[in-house]
Amino acid sequence: MPRTAGNTASAASVRLIVTSPIKIDIWSDIACPWCYIGKRHLEGGIAALGADAPDVEIEYHSFELAPDTPVDFEGSEVDFLAKHKGLPADRVQQMLQHVTGVAANAGLDYDFDALQHTKTLKAHELLHFAKSQGLQLELSERLFRAYFTEGRHVGRVDELVELAAEVGLDADAAREALESGRYAAAVQADIAQAGAYGINGVPFFVFEGKYGVSGAQPAEVFSQVLTQVAGERDGAAA
Amino acid sequence: MSERIDAAVASEPVAMSETTAATDAAPSPFTMVTGDPAAMVCEGDVCFIPGTGGAAD
Repeated sequence: MPRTAGNTASAASVRLIVTSPIKIDIWSDIACPWCYIGKRHLEGGIAALGADAPDVEIEYHSFELAPDTPVDFEGSEVDFLAKHKGLPADRVQQMLQHVTGVAANAGLDYDFDALQHTKTLKAHELLHFAKSQGLQLELSERLFRAYFTEGRHVGRVDELVELAAEVGLDADAAREALESGRYAAAVQADIAQAGAYGINGVPFFVFEGKYGVSGAQPAEVFSQVLTQVAGERDGAAA
Repeated sequence: MSERIDAAVASEPVAMSETTAATDAAPSPFTMVTGDPAAMVCEGDVCFIPGTGGAAD
């Protein structure tokens, strides 16, 4: 909610309005191709508002799409979906070509040939550690890029520690956080919260704890939601 | 949840006042912004357009 503070020098005529950022909670998984695209669309929606863009505070929450995924899967994404999940290989190829094209339109260079399918539980734990260090957004972007465009393995502790260090996290502290499982409960709490909210799929965005947005919506939808929330704040502050 | 929410929306993104819709389809405490019904979501290992009933990506 907006906060107001009177200016004691001329309290009758001047009011300093201090507005807290609009909170955006995002349930997402690193292994979700539409979550990275949705991230770009959200960023585009904010940028499209230009000087009118409100300040936002973004927090990522864990959602593990496929908990049964092995950490080390020997094979491609096509192999995983075709063999492990029983989907027709030609259908899988079509699906991946489609999402690759949409990603390209969002400025993302997906490489499903290089992608290393893996379990994302440890990546989620690292995101919680990064949040405690004020670097969650930086790490989120780094993990998405590592997974979808660079073919990095985001399920192994050693690789995750390298990625953590690249965004400015202390490598030793990141390793300790992962090896101790200190954030495992926080990950499960996020997943449980999603279940309580009825969130079955990701990406899922919540604005100010009030508006829910499901899926990789176009940038203009995010612009509209932000404009709506900011307008409601202005109305409440008037 | 998503299928029921998106079943009643328009086919194109529209003004904010038209994109919000309260729903009793889920225990969500949020007012759902329906937006573009073709927006993809992922559940499990498959991603799809809610309401179409089939995997798309």
